[in-house]
Amino acid sequence: MIQLKTMLNCIDNSGAAIVECIQVVGQKRHASIGDRIVCVVQKQRGAGAEGMAAASNAMKVKRGDIRHAVVVRTRQMVNRRDGSVIRFDDNACVLINKAGDPVGTRVNGIVGQELRKKKWSKILSMAPMQA
Amino acid sequence: MNATPLVRRPLGCLKNSLRQARQLKESRLLVARGMATTTTETTGSEAPPPPRHHVFQIIDRKTKKTRTAFAIYKPAIKPSLPTLKELPPILSPPKLNKPPSNPLPALHAEQIKKMDPTGARTRLFAKTRGAARVGDILMVTHRRSGEPFSGVLIEIRRRGIDTAILLRNHLAKVGVEMWFKIYNKNVAGIEIVKRAKKRARRARLTYMRKAKHDRCDVSAAVFAWKKTRKVTTIKASAKKAAKGGKNAAGKKAK
Repeated sequence: MIQLKTMLNCIDNSGAAIVECIQVVGQKRHASIGDRIVCVVQKQRGAGAEGMAAASNAMKVKRGDIRHAVVVRTRQMVNRRDGSVIRFDDNACVLINKAGDPVGTRVNGIVGQELRKKKWSKILSMAPMQA
Repeated sequence: MNATPLVRRPLGCLKNSLRQARQLKESRLLVARGMATTTTETTGSEAPPPPRHHVFQIIDRKTKKTRTAFAIYKPAIKPSLPTLKELPPILSPPKLNKPPSNPLPALHAEQIKKMDPTGARTRLFAKTRGAARVGDILMVTHRRSGEPFSGVLIEIRRRGIDTAILLRNHLAKVGVEMWFKIYNKNVAGIEIVKRAKKRARRARLTYMRKAKHDRCDVSAAVFAWKKTRKVTTIKASAKKAAKGGKNAAGKKAK
């Protein structure tokens, strides 16, 4: 149940660590696994005490950037067709551009299998595991 | 016709008229009493048929007898409509009084028999000694999704054919919980990997979601169990060994 103001972990190497949902794309009340959202980057990965300038050289996104993302894990239970249900311990997403290609080149962590149904094959192939 | 003589009657005739009225009243009472006695006699021998048209029946509170009253207006219900006594015997009061038996248990039993003909699934989650209990580590092999899911059994939801189990594990450092329906045909196998050391004092181990009590990754236990199983199966039979080998291969690929 990702909605306005939900904070999500960003699990790719785009440079964002935590993002905040500002819009669920499509006429939906809440976003679930495989849904597209618009988000603001709230925290950068590896932003140390000495300042962000050095760290952000390799980073593709900065704090305050507005990006699109795909939800890959939700705390809310997701029902599957065969009656099984999956639930993760956190909400997580992967940043994408407007065309739908991932911003980062790597995904660290497990993603939900619902991505296959919603045809996010690029993210699925990047992910080390799917459940 | 009646009004005119009343108007013309002088005041002196009042006494006379009163007397007349009293007499009339007495005579009426007498008639009524006589009728009452006769009716009691008649009800003993034969009940008069209740009038049907434009009539509704009222039960007298004191005497508990039905008395009839005429409807002021035409009743909405057609008089030809069958009364309660005329209705077919299915709706007769003695059968209605009997509480209807619950058909669901029989249906569940039938469905379970269909989905689990050997009874292995039922036995695995029965309330017996050998059965899986909350706190055990289980492995569920799913027919569709590739890798078997293993985790700590947190909860057993016993609902007949809808009986389901909740497993919790950590995959890539993220907690994952999954519900599985045990009678699902897609659930190819459920195996007990490791027994809990002690009987859990709770029916649902939801406290395991907290970091303090979390069992985290159970893959070590699963790996150890797979090793032992492989050894035993090689001794047991070649066919089972091949299966174990396949599992080991899957493990290596992972």
